[in-house]
Amino acid sequence: MPAASAAGNCSIMESLVRRLATFSAALGGVALSALILMTCVSILGRAFSRLGLGPVPGDFELVEAGIAFAVFAFLPLCQLKAGHATVDLLVPLFGKSGNRWLLALWETVAALIAALILWRLWAGFLSKLGNGETTMMLQFPVWWAYAACLFPAAVLVLTCLWSAFDRLRGALTGQDSRPITGESLH
Amino acid sequence: MTAIEIGLWSFPVLLGLIFLRAPIWLAMMLCGLAGMWMVTGSPNIILSKLKSETYTTFSSYSLSIVPIFLLMGHLSGLGGMSRALFKAGEAWLGHLKGGTAMAAIGACAGFGSICGSSLATAATMAQVALPELKRGGYAGGLSTATLAAGGTLGILIPPSVVLVVYATLTEQNIAKLFLAAFVPGLLAALGYMVVIALFVRRHPGSAGSLPRAPMADRLRALVDVWPVMLIFIVVVGGIYTGIFTPTEGASVGALGTGLVAWAAGGLSRAKLWQALMATAAGTAMIFAIVLGAAFFNAFLALTQVPQAISGFAVDRGFGPWTVLVIILVIYLLLGCVMDSLSMILLTIPIFFPVISTMDFGMTPEQTAIWFGILVLIVVEVGLITPPVGLNLFVINAMDRETPIRDTYHAITWFVASDILRVALLVIFPGITLFLLP
Amino acid sequence: QDTVTLKLHQFLPAQAPVPAGVLVPWMEKITAESGGRIVFEHYPAMQLGGKPGELIDQVTDGVADVVWTLPGYTPGRFPRTEVMELPFLMTDAEAASRTYWTLGEKYMFDTEFQDVKILGMWTHGPGLIHSKTPITVPADLNGVKLRAPTRVTNMMATNLGATAVGMPVPAVPESLSKGVIDATILPWEVTASIKSSELVTNHTEFPGAPLYTSAFILAMNKDVYDGLPDDLKAVIDANSGLEFSANAGKVSQAADAPARQIAVDLGNTIIELTPEQIAEWKDAAEPTIATWVAEMQAQGIDGQALLDEARALMNENTK
Ligand code: NA
Ligand code: NA
Repeated sequence: MPAASAAGNCSIMESLVRRLATFSAALGGVALSALILMTCVSILGRAFSRLGLGPVPGDFELVEAGIAFAVFAFLPLCQLKAGHATVDLLVPLFGKSGNRWLLALWETVAALIAALILWRLWAGFLSKLGNGETTMMLQFPVWWAYAACLFPAAVLVLTCLWSAFDRLRGALTGQDSRPITGESLH
Repeated sequence: MTAIEIGLWSFPVLLGLIFLRAPIWLAMMLCGLAGMWMVTGSPNIILSKLKSETYTTFSSYSLSIVPIFLLMGHLSGLGGMSRALFKAGEAWLGHLKGGTAMAAIGACAGFGSICGSSLATAATMAQVALPELKRGGYAGGLSTATLAAGGTLGILIPPSVVLVVYATLTEQNIAKLFLAAFVPGLLAALGYMVVIALFVRRHPGSAGSLPRAPMADRLRALVDVWPVMLIFIVVVGGIYTGIFTPTEGASVGALGTGLVAWAAGGLSRAKLWQALMATAAGTAMIFAIVLGAAFFNAFLALTQVPQAISGFAVDRGFGPWTVLVIILVIYLLLGCVMDSLSMILLTIPIFFPVISTMDFGMTPEQTAIWFGILVLIVVEVGLITPPVGLNLFVINAMDRETPIRDTYHAITWFVASDILRVALLVIFPGITLFLLP
Repeated sequence: QDTVTLKLHQFLPAQAPVPAGVLVPWMEKITAESGGRIVFEHYPAMQLGGKPGELIDQVTDGVADVVWTLPGYTPGRFPRTEVMELPFLMTDAEAASRTYWTLGEKYMFDTEFQDVKILGMWTHGPGLIHSKTPITVPADLNGVKLRAPTRVTNMMATNLGATAVGMPVPAVPESLSKGVIDATILPWEVTASIKSSELVTNHTEFPGAPLYTSAFILAMNKDVYDGLPDDLKAVIDANSGLEFSANAGKVSQAADAPARQIAVDLGNTIIELTPEQIAEWKDAAEPTIATWVAEMQAQGIDGQALLDEARALMNENTK
């Protein structure tokens, strides 16, 4: 039956999105943990500089590049779990259907903004690729850092698109796959 | 419309979007992007800025401390440290009327000294203390309100994510802000304990007391909190003395907390995964707001609205103290519906320039630090003011038996003590500043 | 007639020496000479958003119409400007700024600066070493944890055995006071705003042959400039170029003296190296300069010729 196969496709899409968002968050978690360990090693190296050791060269730059990647990598999971801060004061006023449509609206807008961010990040990546810019200490090309963020940014767009689709379906059918009110994750 | 008019209109539009359930980051981002387009008459500026500013906003050394503190907070729930703190509080205070609730406040203060987030403090301590309060015959509303208020100590007592963001926005020294927050934070804990004592006197049926613990037990309970003490001394002490940068201190703390949890057998692979995923969601939420605020504030700068507001205050002949009180009241009102970081990111770029041009009889740095601590407290009050208080929701979600209106009733007592404390700190800036060199 | 509003975006507070002594008077002069047809909106301290390294893109893309920035914020992107930052090239900021503008006009406007309209090119005053322990010979840098301001000074510090530590300028005082770093390289001017003279006791000056300087540019969006009517272009042209740049360098260096006096009043040791001592430092810096020339060669730039011409111009411009 067509309806059943459509639902089947949806769940494949949903599981793909969930896997990608989780994988992206896991990569961010690895990056964050690595930064923490690198920073601790750097402190030790600095403490024993008399013994010929020293801080990790360019530790500052590594933190800056790593944290940007980690944040990009964390965004899809937050979107998927509806973890962004909202003001739910007027939720009871809108009714079930009103809330569903509002969610669908904002998820759609979020998808548009995420796509805009990805497109411009790509443009930024291309301009850094061509202009030879490097960091000061380690002198690694800045486009490496931009390139690393492209994958999680693409996952974010995909997550937002799925999420918008899911909310629109919820608004049209009155069936929710995720809660429409209540606690968000903080 | 002139640029200034567009800038002024953006506030009601932004609030309207937020009340229509737009995620706060998205509302600020939309207003910022659309506003810049309107003011400059072309999308060029937003397309150009977006090429690099999403990356550079996230790529911030000073804000890198935020996810690390969040991870440290999530790990610190795993090593039995929250239970040890609560047991120590109970050993020393449990025999008083309302003593178990006071112990919960003390434990929140202790936990706040290694955790930089209010919600993590509230949620972690609630897991330990709520069942004990129930067993001790405490009224539901008093229990939930105690933990919701105690949770704010997570931010009031350093380390504190909100102070990090304030320091970044205003280019102040994080270590000095942490030091300045210390005494007001302790005053907060003390104030909450007094509130509990008064509350149980007024509502005698709402609390019980335990038999007095022998001195040996008390001392043993104190010994059990050594990992917390050690981590606090290393992290906050290290940051304050400058042995570490704040990011380095947070890294040492996160690693140390992880090791304590691991040694206590609390760090299974699943728990570590949970901690990392909670950190991921929290980090994304905060940085998304930082990004939205960056674009909204660049738009406001373009409209020159902050200067207009500043000029308005000066033209009207408002004195510095009037302006300060107005700003604090605005925070208290906003805090009824908004979360602390959104408020700080939205308003500090407007209010801080106004305050920093005014003469409170202090050096500019002292004014900035004092104002930061005042703002910290008033935005934290927002977490426990009805109707929208994130701490209230979190704790109430953990205790479904207590109706939210019971929580609302008890929390007003704690809010009153907060407002009293703000007044005290406004009148006597020395309480905040005397520890500074 | 229409008035043109230009947004000037830069990274320092409005009251810092260069914004107050160069940029604000420059804007006022242009507004006056254009009969009020060019007006400026000054956005100090990165008010329009972004990090200082993004200023150059902002002016290229039209986010701002005029920016004041350092090519060194984006290492690798403006390779030829680094010739001004090589060790022991500069003598004083006015002469260095004349040299820089002349070289810029000849070699850089059509190459690395082809996307913007350059209005001014100048340098700050002599850079020197501020340290806890006295530093007189290059070997004294061995094992010292040092914060260097530019890509080239970082290379040189590392070549001389120092541990180069990266951090932004505002982090320097805290890091000095707590031993995260033992020394920093800066011009005097900056030491006043970060109060670093209270944290170190030694300042190593290189009289007559300063250790380094940093290059600045004042750049305008090309389309905005090209779109101006000829009489307004003439007003901008009359207020940019060689003499404007030379004066900006002079104003920048003038801020050094009061900052140096602070260190003197604190009783700090100011080590003025003798020509013989400086010769030893120059020898020690040779490998860094050679590396730079080789790097330029790899990018198809004749670094040696550029350096030779810069040295000749410095000689000519130094009175
Ligand atoms: Na805390
Ligand atoms: Na509230």
